[in-house]
Amino acid sequence: MTDTDDLTDDTGVCRRGSTTSASAVRRFGARYGGRCISASVVERKEDVFLAIRELARAKLRFILLGGAIGLLVFLILFQQALLGGLITQFIGALRNQSATVLVYGSDARRNLEGSRVDPSTVDAVRAVDGVADAGPLGQGTFTARADGALADATLLGYRLGGPGRPTSLNAGRLPETDFEAVVSDGDSSKGFTLGRSVTIEPDGRAIRIVGVATDARYSATPTLFVSYATYEAARTTANPDAGPITPSAVAVTVDADGDPGAVAGRITAQVPGTEALTRDEAISSSPGVSSVQQSFYVILGLFYIVVPLVAGLFFLIITFQKADTLTLLRALGARPSMLIRNLLAQVVVVVLGGVVLATALLAGAAQGTKSIGVKVDPTAIGVTTAVVLGLALISSLAAIRRVLAIDPLRAVTGKDVLG
Amino acid sequence: MTALELRDVGKIYGSDENRVVALEHATLSVADDEMLALLGPSGSGKTTLLSIAGGLLSPTSGRVEVGGQDISAFNASQLNRFRRESVGFVFQQVNLVPFLTARENLMVVDEISGARSGRASAGRADQLLGELGLAERGENMPNELSGGERQRVAVGRALMNEPRLVLIDEPTSALDTQLGNQVMELIRQEIKERGTAAVIVTHDTRMIHYCDRTVSIVDGVLRDDAGASAAH
Amino acid sequence: MKLALRELRRRPSRFAVAAGVLTLIVVLLSFLGGLLDGLFLGSTGALSAQRADVFVYSANSRDSFLRSRIEPDVRAEVAAVEGVDTVGGLGIGLLTAAVPGQQDPADVALIGFEQPATGIPAPPPDGQAFADRRLETAGVRVGQTLEIGRSRTPIRVVGWVRDSNYLLQGGLWVNADTWRATVSAARPDLRVADGVMQVLVVSGSGTPASLAERIDAATAGATRSLSRDDAILSIPGTKEQRSTFLQIIFTTLAVAAMVIGLFFSLLTLERTGLYGVLKALGSSSRQLFGGVVAQAVLVTVVALVIGEILTIGLTAIAPSSIPIELTASRSAFVAVGMLAASVAGSVVSLRRVVRIDPASAIGTSS
Repeated sequence: MTDTDDLTDDTGVCRRGSTTSASAVRRFGARYGGRCISASVVERKEDVFLAIRELARAKLRFILLGGAIGLLVFLILFQQALLGGLITQFIGALRNQSATVLVYGSDARRNLEGSRVDPSTVDAVRAVDGVADAGPLGQGTFTARADGALADATLLGYRLGGPGRPTSLNAGRLPETDFEAVVSDGDSSKGFTLGRSVTIEPDGRAIRIVGVATDARYSATPTLFVSYATYEAARTTANPDAGPITPSAVAVTVDADGDPGAVAGRITAQVPGTEALTRDEAISSSPGVSSVQQSFYVILGLFYIVVPLVAGLFFLIITFQKADTLTLLRALGARPSMLIRNLLAQVVVVVLGGVVLATALLAGAAQGTKSIGVKVDPTAIGVTTAVVLGLALISSLAAIRRVLAIDPLRAVTGKDVLG
Repeated sequence: MTALELRDVGKIYGSDENRVVALEHATLSVADDEMLALLGPSGSGKTTLLSIAGGLLSPTSGRVEVGGQDISAFNASQLNRFRRESVGFVFQQVNLVPFLTARENLMVVDEISGARSGRASAGRADQLLGELGLAERGENMPNELSGGERQRVAVGRALMNEPRLVLIDEPTSALDTQLGNQVMELIRQEIKERGTAAVIVTHDTRMIHYCDRTVSIVDGVLRDDAGASAAH
Repeated sequence: MKLALRELRRRPSRFAVAAGVLTLIVVLLSFLGGLLDGLFLGSTGALSAQRADVFVYSANSRDSFLRSRIEPDVRAEVAAVEGVDTVGGLGIGLLTAAVPGQQDPADVALIGFEQPATGIPAPPPDGQAFADRRLETAGVRVGQTLEIGRSRTPIRVVGWVRDSNYLLQGGLWVNADTWRATVSAARPDLRVADGVMQVLVVSGSGTPASLAERIDAATAGATRSLSRDDAILSIPGTKEQRSTFLQIIFTTLAVAAMVIGLFFSLLTLERTGLYGVLKALGSSSRQLFGGVVAQAVLVTVVALVIGEILTIGLTAIAPSSIPIELTASRSAFVAVGMLAASVAGSVVSLRRVVRIDPASAIGTSS
């Protein structure tokens, strides 16, 4: 008898001695990885190779599992990136400007669009303890003409040199006079490029773009940081019926060793008609951000549960199916730690294979969703991989328990038909 | 009429250096109500012969006729149909479906062929079970039956489709003498009552007296019980 | 096939694993679908409710509702176009409303309208409004007087309407004059002059596309008219949301197919002995495979039922800030998708079933 007898493989039957005497055990074939091996092979120390050989032999099911996990991990990564990208589209401008506290009108419901403060509020805020500087912040969405075509644009008007200036400049310079602007990155195809001008409809004056900032969009539209006066002029142009124009909020920078949270609390308490928020609070309470986040978290949570469930149950099932072979191996002297090592090696290989697939898919998806700003972030991939791997290894505990429960003295009988 | 006719049947596995000749020039005739014992040690080719006779394997050479039908060149689906309609098997490993009751294990034959349905099928199953002394055990699962009872259920299953030929592989190897006699007794009864032919593969010499004739097989070659080669 | 179903009934635990994972996936899909529908409806309900064929925006508004302005003279031109039956004005202002007894103000979409719409009767008198049910969760009740914006313009709620929101803010439906006055008071910078509306809703004869063309021609390009569907899709974010969500949903369905393929191929492997015996008894590969498909479909059905129940339970306890809308058509979509996935997944086992050799039933030493 050669080392590896191959008989009707896929139906999983090996030759067996018709007696169970010791000599028959020597001829006893064991089905492992789809091929029958005789006892002598097992005695050789072929640790992890057995695991890989089983993987290679039973390609289909491991590919299916790797594929399912890959798709799931891809969906997790994609949605995480989507969430991050979406949020940045909406509040990137708020995140990347210099004010660490934003003061809204008290009935604005923490929404910049719906917020209005009296001009006198700016001075009142500046007088509060801990405030280094305060200036008006005007926000509005307008129709702009750029490169001959019409486009949506958000204007963020601030007092030049004061709080609210963009902090993520990657080209050009900050505005130094009225009708100069820093534009958010990524909108050059619509005509918002360095050196060119845009006008606010209808027939406003030209605003020249002198700088570009990264991740500086507001409300998913191209965003222009301009002087407050420019903002006022734009408002008047867009709506000649408009009454007096008031700032949307007050942008505040805090003393060097001050705590934005404490300062915000003081402002809300001392200045009537205001609600002051730290920059992070303003971001997370922006309309749509929190509900989008919550929704995504629920869905991401579900995905995170499905992954280890699928993996864990798969390995549990195949461990049950290999019970005969595993019992034999133990009877021939293999230690439980070897079998467990094999199992864990398989889990790791499958998960990592899935992650590779997921990364490839993510790169493809990032191409297709450039407008939303889905990026391939190696850190995020690393963290997600670690979490998924950890969950999968934990879920294989059930299979490990089954392996440990094998009693090598137990006789092995047929599984699916009785006779 | 002969139930089974094998003419110069050969079966070779593998090729070139790895050739295994399982059967060589096998010629055999079994009459319509004859009970034949096929005696031989492990590795003699008796299972191969049984498989070919029952349409589970195709011969490499020679002619196989069952009930006048030449099945030598049948393709897989033709063999399927043939087994459904003309042959009954009793496997050495019994092979009952573990999640079906004894009665349902018999009725599954009708489900496969569509021959009978519902009540008619249950009626026939119960009749067979009664003849085999299992009237009270119809509702039991295989794991609730003893080894001998399971064996008898398997015999019943082999007879459900009223076959021309019943092929039985080592029916008594796992049974003690008393139970073995019981089972052989029942088999003989059923076979003779129905005028079905049977080929019983065994190496258990205690049981061959239940059969009409004995043929030996050694290393793929048939010999009749006179000891001479049956090749001519 | 009866055999396959009997196995399901007698040995449910073997299939419990696949059923459990599939149930989770059904919950996932229903949640995703519900979120998609909730976001969609919440953003576009106000426009979907309109019984118009065409929406007319001003040309320089870039199809943005909020920036569009239609002057009375342009409106007259539109009304005079051949084939136009009714012209109504529509205006939306995104404002905040103070609700009596509530600490937080509610986000409302103040909608000034002239033509009744689906589920929305004729415009109420000055100072009164119909409120969308969505505002009920913000504490609004019929009979209350809300104060809109910093100017605290009072508006009394006199009835409910449904699915009439805009950009996830609760619809508050008032007549055109009230709308104009309130917006001008609350947001002087957005003041709208008398006679001006943001958008015209037009119904008329002919296809929406041709009607839209005629209108734009008649106003010499001062307007841009869109069919209803185009108008709905032009609401910011709608198109991208929809396509992204659908991509995620379809990918998840692919995962479901793979999970089914996986677990059922493992099951098939376990049963090769059984299948060998059945083939020896004369069963065809088709019969056996049919049994596998039947089991996959039934397990999927169980997962669908339990999954739907779980989803309904989950959405009931979810915080109201998550916009989920469970619709029958979405459930049907999920069901069809999962059943297709189950059939596709079972095909993975086909090859193995076909290759099982009936001779294996004899399989011991020769």
